[in-house]
Amino acid sequence: MKTLKLFGLVFAALVLSFALCLPAGAAAPIKIGVLGPMSFTQGEGHWNGASMAADEINKAGGIKVGKEMRPIELVKVDTNEFLSIPDATNAAELAVRRHKVDFLVGGFRTEAVLVMQDIAMDAKKVFIGCGAAHPALCTKVTKDYDRYKYWFRLTPINSKFLGKVDFILLGTVAHIMKKTLGIKKIKVAVVAEKAAWADPIVNISKKLLPAKMGMEVVGVWRPSPVAKDCTAELSAIQRAGAHIVFTTFSSSVGLTFAKQMGELKVPAAAVGINVESQKSGFWGATGGKGEYAETINTYARVEITPKTIPFYDKYVKLYKQAPNYTAGTYDALYILKEAVERVGTVDSDKVVSALEKTDYIDTAGRVVFDKSHDVTWGPNYVTSIGTQWQDGEMKCVWPYHWQKVFYKGTVPYKLAPWIIDYWKNKK
Amino acid sequence: MLLDIIIDGLIKGSVYALLAIGFSLVLGVARIINIAHTALYMTAAYLIYMGTKLMGLPAPVAMLASIVLTVILGLLIYNFFIRPIQEHEAAVLIATIAVAMMIQEVFLMTFGGHYLGVSPLVEGYATIMGVKVTYQHLLALGLALVILVGVRLFLLKTRLGLAIRSTAQDREVANLMGMNVTRVAMGTMGVSVGLAAITGAIVVPLVTVEPTMWMHPLIMMLAIVVLGGLGSIEGSFVGAYILGFAESLVVFLLPMGAFLKDSVALSIMILVLLIRPDGLFGVSFEEER
Amino acid sequence: MGLVSAYFRRGWTILRSEVLVLPSRLAVLLFIIALMAVPLFTQDYYILRILILTCIFAIFAASWDLLSGFTGQMNFGHALFFGVAAYVTALLNLDLGFPPYLSIPLGAVGGVLAGLVVGIPCLRLRGSYLALTTLAFPIILTGLVFAMPDITGGELGLSGLSRLTGSRVMDYYLCSSLVVILGFAMWKITDSKTGIILHAIREDEVAVRSSGINTIRYKLLAFCMSGFFAGIAGGLYAHFMRLAGPSTLEVSLSFQVIIWSVFGGMVSIYGPIAGVFILNPLMEVLRVALGNFPSLPEIRMFIFAGLVLVTLLFMPEGLIPWVRDKLENECPRCKLRNVFIRQRCRVCDTSLS
Repeated sequence: MKTLKLFGLVFAALVLSFALCLPAGAAAPIKIGVLGPMSFTQGEGHWNGASMAADEINKAGGIKVGKEMRPIELVKVDTNEFLSIPDATNAAELAVRRHKVDFLVGGFRTEAVLVMQDIAMDAKKVFIGCGAAHPALCTKVTKDYDRYKYWFRLTPINSKFLGKVDFILLGTVAHIMKKTLGIKKIKVAVVAEKAAWADPIVNISKKLLPAKMGMEVVGVWRPSPVAKDCTAELSAIQRAGAHIVFTTFSSSVGLTFAKQMGELKVPAAAVGINVESQKSGFWGATGGKGEYAETINTYARVEITPKTIPFYDKYVKLYKQAPNYTAGTYDALYILKEAVERVGTVDSDKVVSALEKTDYIDTAGRVVFDKSHDVTWGPNYVTSIGTQWQDGEMKCVWPYHWQKVFYKGTVPYKLAPWIIDYWKNKK
Repeated sequence: MLLDIIIDGLIKGSVYALLAIGFSLVLGVARIINIAHTALYMTAAYLIYMGTKLMGLPAPVAMLASIVLTVILGLLIYNFFIRPIQEHEAAVLIATIAVAMMIQEVFLMTFGGHYLGVSPLVEGYATIMGVKVTYQHLLALGLALVILVGVRLFLLKTRLGLAIRSTAQDREVANLMGMNVTRVAMGTMGVSVGLAAITGAIVVPLVTVEPTMWMHPLIMMLAIVVLGGLGSIEGSFVGAYILGFAESLVVFLLPMGAFLKDSVALSIMILVLLIRPDGLFGVSFEEER
Repeated sequence: MGLVSAYFRRGWTILRSEVLVLPSRLAVLLFIIALMAVPLFTQDYYILRILILTCIFAIFAASWDLLSGFTGQMNFGHALFFGVAAYVTALLNLDLGFPPYLSIPLGAVGGVLAGLVVGIPCLRLRGSYLALTTLAFPIILTGLVFAMPDITGGELGLSGLSRLTGSRVMDYYLCSSLVVILGFAMWKITDSKTGIILHAIREDEVAVRSSGINTIRYKLLAFCMSGFFAGIAGGLYAHFMRLAGPSTLEVSLSFQVIIWSVFGGMVSIYGPIAGVFILNPLMEVLRVALGNFPSLPEIRMFIFAGLVLVTLLFMPEGLIPWVRDKLENECPRCKLRNVFIRQRCRVCDTSLS
C-alpha cells in the first residue's frame, strides 16, 4: 500500500499547493506580470525597470481607472528562458491563469517569447514586449489582427531598423577614419553571429557596402552565438587588413570577441551591434579590454528626452548598474498607465485601441506604435543611440547631428590609439 | 594562413588537452565518467574570481587557494556521492550530472547569470611569425606540455602512480594483491580534480566566467577522450590537438561556417570511431569482451 | 445480455486474480483512473499544461528506457530523436498543411530514421564509447539547424503550428491516453520474445551472438523503436507548444531524460514514467510553494538535483524498483511476484519466507 500512499501524497501536495495560490480577495490592484529570466542581466532589467515605475506610480496614488485610483501590483514571473523553454511557458501560464494578471510586459529569448505570446493571446492579455527584436513577432499582428492585436513591442526597435542604424553607425565611423587616417578605401570585415536575425544584415552588407557606401568587404565570419574563443577569427581578420570590424552580436560571443580584440590590440574599429557591450558589467568582464567598442544602444546618460537623465540616474542609484533595453518595462508601465487612464478601464480590447493611439514621450524618445504594433523608428520618434566605451564609461556618440538630431551630452567618437599608430606607420 | 592555423590550433589543442587529461585519468582508473569534471573546473574559476576581485588577494595566492579548495570539494563529492554507489554505473553517471547541476545552480544563485572576468597572469601579447598570441595563451600551451610530462612521470616513477596503473589494468587482481583500491581511486580522483582546478586557474583569464561555462568544454572534452581512446592519456593529448586543429581549419578555410566548428569537430570524432571503435589509443577494459 | 455479463464476469476475475493481488498493478490501475479523472475536478489551463507536458516527457523517458535500459545501448543524445521528430512534424504541418494526426506519426518516422542514422555507426561501439558518441549527434544537428535558417528558422525555430486538438481538455485526453497506450505498448515489447533478446544483448552480447541471433538487427531495431516513441513525444511537443526550436536538441534535455529515468528506475518502462510524473509536477509545486524566493529556478533545480542525488544514495536502482521490492516478493520456485504480506506463493503455494 505504500505506493498508493506515495501517489496519494504527491497528489495531495499538488492539490494543496494549487489551492494555496488561488487569488485571495477582490482584485483591487491592477496586476502586471513581468516576464524575464530573473537571474540574468536581461531579467534584472525587466524587473528593475518595472518595479521602479510601479513604485513611482503607486506613490503618486496609482492608476486612475474611471473614477477610482488603483495601485499597481507587480507579479514577478521568472521564466528561466535561457535554460528551459517549457519552464518559461509554464511560468507564463501560471501568471495568466492563476495570478490572473491584467497585463504582461517583458520577455527576451525569441524562441520563448513566441510561445509566451501565444499564451497571452489565448487569454486575451495585452503583452508589451521589451527584449525580443525579431520582426516575426509583430508581423503576426498584421497577418491575424484579431488574435494577435494584444501584442505590442516597445524595446528594442525591430531588427530591420536596427540594421538601418547599424549602417549609419558604420558610415559615420568610416568617415572619421578616412578623415583622420587618410585611408582611401575602407576595408570592412563583417562578423556576425550565426543566427537568423543576423542574416539580413550580412546579406545587405555584402551588397550595400561596395555598391553604395564605397567600402570593400574583405570577408564574412559567422561564429557561433556562444563561441568561447575568437582568436582564429581575429587572426584571419588581421591578415585580411580590415580597417573596420562590422559586428552583429546578441549573445555571449560579443563579449569574447570584444575582449580578445582588445587583448590583441587588433588595428580595426569595432562598430555595429554588440548587446554585451550595452551592459554595465561589460567593462569588468573584459577587464577593461573592451574599450572603444561601439554598439547600438537604447539608454545612456544623455538627454534623449527630458525624462532620460532623471530615469538613468535614479536607476543607477537604485540598482548600481546602467539600464539596458530590457529596462524598457519602466516605460511600458507608464504607457499602459496613460492608455488605461484614457479609456478608463482595464478591458483588454479597449486598452488595445487606446495603445494604438498612443503618442507618448518616454525615456527613449517619442513612442507611437505602427500598424504592426511595433515601435516607430526615425528622427523625432525613437531613434535609438550609438554608444562607445571610453575610459570605463559608456558614452553616447550617435546621433551626432544626424538629420538635425543631437542629444545633449553626446560626445565625439574616439579611435583607439593603436589603430591610429598602426595605419599611420603603415603608410 | 598556414602559420595562423598551426599556431591557433596548437593553442586551442593545449587548452583542451589540459581538461581532457584529468578526466581521462579518473575514467581509466576508477571507471567513472565524471560529468562534474568541468563543473569543478568552473568552481576553481569562480573561486579565483572571488579571491582576486572580491577579496583582493594577489592572483597566485587566490589560485593556490582555489586549487586546494576545489580538490577538497572534489574528494568530498567522491566520498559521499560516488563511492557508495560505485557498482551501479548508471547511478554514478546521474550522480555526477546531478552534482554538476548543483554546482551550476549554486553559482547562479550567488552570482546570477552575469558574465565575469579575471585578469590574466601576464598581460600583453607576443607576435610569432606575424601572428599575435597573448602571453596567457602561450602559458597555457607551455603548461599543457609540462603537465603531460608531469603526469607521465608521476604514473611511471611514483608508488601511487604504479598503484594507479595496476588498478587501471585489473581492478580485481590489484585488490587481491592487497592494494587498497578505494584509496587508489581516491588518490586518482584527487589528482584528476587537481588538474581540473589547475586548468581552471590557467584558462580562466582566457574565457568568460559564467555559470554555464562548464557545458561547452565538457562536450569537447568528452569528444577528445572518446577520440583518443577512453582512459588513454596519450590518446587524450593527441585527440585534443586533432580537434583543436580541426576547429581552426574550419574558421580559416570556411569563415562563413565558423559556427560549425563544434559540429565538424564532433563529426571527426564519429568518423574516427567508425574506423577505430576503441579510439586512437584505445585500451580495452577487461570486463568488455 | 448473457454474453455481456459473461464478459463482465471474466473481466472481474482477471481484475481480481491478476491486478488486485499485486500492489504495483493496483497502483498502475489507480494511476490510470486518476489520470483520466483529472479534468473532472479541474480544467485549469495551468494544471493541464503541466500534466500534458508531463505526459509528453513520460513517453519520451520511457522510450529512452527501451533503448538504454533494456538493450543497454546507453544513449546520451536522446534529444536527437525528440528534436528531429519535432522539426519534421513542424515542417509537414507548416509547409504541407498536414493535420496533427498525420504529421505526428510521420514525424515519428523521422525519429525512426534518426534512430537508423545514429544506430548504424553506433553498432560497433560499446559502453562508454557509445554513450559519448551519441551525445555528439544532437550537437552536430544543431549546427545544421543554424546552417539552414531558410528551412529550420535558425534560432527562432518553426512557430505557428496548428493546435493539437481544439481545446486544452482534449489535448490533455489525447496525451494522457497516449502515455497509457504507448507505455503499455513499450512494456509489452519488452515482455515479448524480442524484448527478451534485447535484454539478453544487454547482459551478454557475445553469448547472444553465439546462440545464432543476429544481434545487429536487434540493436538497430531497438534504436528504431526507441526513435519512434521518442518521435511521437517530439511531435506532440511541437504541436502542443506550437513551436519546434533548437531547444529541443539541447544537451540539457538529453541529460534530463536520463535523470528522470534513472531516478524512477531503469529497465522497467513504468519506472521512467513514474519518475517524470513525480519530478516534473514537483518542480511546479516548488515553483508555487517557493513563489517569493529571489532566485526561484535555481533553488528549484538545486532541490531537484539534490533529491536525485539523495535518492540514488539510498536506492541506486531507482525509486520504483526499490518501492516494489519492499512491497512484493518473488516466489523462489515459480518466479511470480507476490504481495509482501503473503506467506505462501499465490500460484504454486511454495513458502515465501
